[in-house]
Amino acid sequence: MLSPERRPSMAERRPSFFSFNQNPSPLVVPHLAGIEDPLPATTPDKVDVLIAGTGMVESVLAAALAWQGSNVLHIDKNDYYGDTSATLTVDQIKRWVNEVNEGSVSCYKNAKLYVSTLIGSGKYSSRDFGIDLSPKILFAKSDLLSILIKSRVHQYLEFQSLSNFHTYENDCFEKLTNTKQEIFTDQNLPLMTKRNLMKFIKFVLNWEAQTDIWQPYAEKTMSDFLVEKFRLEKPQVFELIFSIGLCYDLNVKVPEALQRIRRYLTSFDVYGPFPALCSKYGGPGELSQGFCRSAAVGGATYKLNEKLVSFNPTTKVATFQDGSKVEVSEKVIVSPTQAPNESKHVPLQQYQVHRLTCIVENPCNEWFNEGESAAMVVFPPGSLKSGNKEVVQAFILGAGSEICPEGTIVWYLSTTEQGPRAEMDIDAALEAMEMALLRESSSGLENDDEIVQLRGDGHTIVNSVKLGQSFKEYVPRERLQFLFKLYYTQYTSTPPFGVVSSSFFDANQDLEKKYIPGASDNGVIYTTMPSAEISYDEVVTAAKVLYEKIVGSDDDFFDLDFEDEDEIQAGGAVNTEQFESAIDDDDDDVNMEGSGEFVGEMEI
Amino acid sequence: MLQFKLVLLGDSSVGKSSIVHRFVKDTFDELRESTIGAAFLSQSITIHPNDGNGAKDVVIKFEIWDTAGQERYKSLAPMYYRNANAALVVYDITQEDSLQKARNWVDELKNKVGDDDLVIYLLGNKVDLCQDMPGSETIPELNEGEDDEQKVRAISTEEAKQYAQEQGLLFREVSAKTGDGIKEIFQEIGEKLYDSKKDEILSKQNRQINGGNNGQVDIHLQRPSTNDPTSCCS
Repeated sequence: MLSPERRPSMAERRPSFFSFNQNPSPLVVPHLAGIEDPLPATTPDKVDVLIAGTGMVESVLAAALAWQGSNVLHIDKNDYYGDTSATLTVDQIKRWVNEVNEGSVSCYKNAKLYVSTLIGSGKYSSRDFGIDLSPKILFAKSDLLSILIKSRVHQYLEFQSLSNFHTYENDCFEKLTNTKQEIFTDQNLPLMTKRNLMKFIKFVLNWEAQTDIWQPYAEKTMSDFLVEKFRLEKPQVFELIFSIGLCYDLNVKVPEALQRIRRYLTSFDVYGPFPALCSKYGGPGELSQGFCRSAAVGGATYKLNEKLVSFNPTTKVATFQDGSKVEVSEKVIVSPTQAPNESKHVPLQQYQVHRLTCIVENPCNEWFNEGESAAMVVFPPGSLKSGNKEVVQAFILGAGSEICPEGTIVWYLSTTEQGPRAEMDIDAALEAMEMALLRESSSGLENDDEIVQLRGDGHTIVNSVKLGQSFKEYVPRERLQFLFKLYYTQYTSTPPFGVVSSSFFDANQDLEKKYIPGASDNGVIYTTMPSAEISYDEVVTAAKVLYEKIVGSDDDFFDLDFEDEDEIQAGGAVNTEQFESAIDDDDDDVNMEGSGEFVGEMEI
Repeated sequence: MLQFKLVLLGDSSVGKSSIVHRFVKDTFDELRESTIGAAFLSQSITIHPNDGNGAKDVVIKFEIWDTAGQERYKSLAPMYYRNANAALVVYDITQEDSLQKARNWVDELKNKVGDDDLVIYLLGNKVDLCQDMPGSETIPELNEGEDDEQKVRAISTEEAKQYAQEQGLLFREVSAKTGDGIKEIFQEIGEKLYDSKKDEILSKQNRQINGGNNGQVDIHLQRPSTNDPTSCCS
């Protein structure tokens, strides 16, 4: 398992204060730097790796390197953690928007902000809100989830389930029929469609092996494949591609769409009847903090408010804005947003992600499943007034996620459409959501037994399957109260597809080696900006590519073995390995029945 | 069992880690120590509440968050402060400016932690350096970077005590090296937290019985569900 040229881990190089025990296995976890070593008071003058930017990828990388034994200095020019993945208060967003429009935050443009007077001087304070710059959902079976468990970073975090995935079609939100049981019991589905759907689901769980079925369609679009091969109708095709697969347009190729659809299905029922999770108090901003803390416990040094000014690849000295310097023996890793002035190596960020984040004063509880405060609404191509060609995704989080106060809700809309069309599409989606919400919250619903269920405590819940359908004619009589609206365009070098392919994160090798006279960033390796991807799928792949460039191999990427007697670690370990293979393993034969095998061993 | 989050604050080298170490080590076996802290350390105590409901012992588990060095450049994350129930703010009685720094940490805490019931404990560490300790100490040196010489006290007990009273903080001078006063701190915090939180805890328990807590369900990542659709994952 360990290659001979692998660098010794910290535990091997510097034995733990406590490990005067007998069997120093190579997997003994490094000692607790924070607990045992009073730290030196001065800035380190020499480190193995310097990382600038505390976004998701950089933070996962810092933790992986720290536990591997590298001496890491991790800085951020901002006074907060998260960089491109930050979770910010309203006041921090105000500052950020100004910086974007001044041009001092690269890779973001065209930021527009409205903040109601109710925030700050009214009934809400800036700190009541945690707005993610690039919100994400976590699939229950994913590489990042397995690393969260292995690294124990999950212990710093709290998660809630996300089971509601709606498709917007014909001015109406359809809830997904996403389980076998639901397909069987759905009265609206013709028998033939049910059979075809079941056949497809069975196929997709083990699609790679069945080349005879998909190979002839490898270069065709997914919708052709579903219609021709599985005889599915448009509603099912759209559901599979856009709500389950969360793909971005109708041109998506067959293998990628299959992989994305399987991601959803294999994640279902891992923790319960839902495929995805959301972290409380914020998404990637919260996870980055967790990984940074883990890195710090593993020995990394943290310094916010520190900007890289230049790196000299000959002397290997990095200079910071406050005049301090550090010698970097291995690599300097920099987020594009943290590039020094006079930098000439920042990769081209050719793809746009358009985002609109709104806070609405309305609990919207009817959009959530009971016990949840998250939902996903997908607007497929052609479903909006604007005649959208690309999908608009709306990720909705309520007060239960602790990112906004009781009675309010956050809508994160985004699209992969490029150019001026994007804002029109997003506006059309916003309008559709607004109309739907106004219709639902209007009076008259209580008498319709079919769509209203009474909860034990007297609250009414609208059955989301029918949202919008029955009240089309109802004229909205009031406007929604928007507390906050933030629009911006983010640029990235990562295309909105295939993010699990490492080649996207390894494309700039020539650029890195080139020496440009006068550049302040010769010899620096740049990370990638977050893509439009709504899941965390790209994070681990991107971090691994960088890790391999530094360490030489990714064999010991989070090769941690925390021993622990009172947790259910034995079962957990079995599990994490299975999670890891979920995304890119070719012969992954985990299926819905199969997932019962390993969970069966769990002690709960 | 009740669980509380306790954070440590204070400048580097005032002995924050030594204090936790001293507290946790007493009942910790070697193996566990070197592994569990990857997330945070934890230790339980038992308190004997005297609240008229009969003398039923209560176990209190502290989830202890060390700064892990992130305090050095004032780079603590919001996550660190979030939902903290208690904080130990530590200074070094032999370092003149360390009380002022502790004051800054107290301000920071009050600014960052919303909970009005937050228990803040001001701790003057390293009393062993300024006392005539009878007999020889065999406990290994924990306050690294210090030698065994007697040091001059730079901060008087009165000064710190007065500040603590003004701010409504608990206060004590301790020695992580000798263990003097360490257990008492946690006992005192546990009792105070129990008193201030017991109503909340009871009402929360009732709400949970009634299917409440806002209907929100938190998912434990180490506990995948069984495939039984009727079982709840929490």
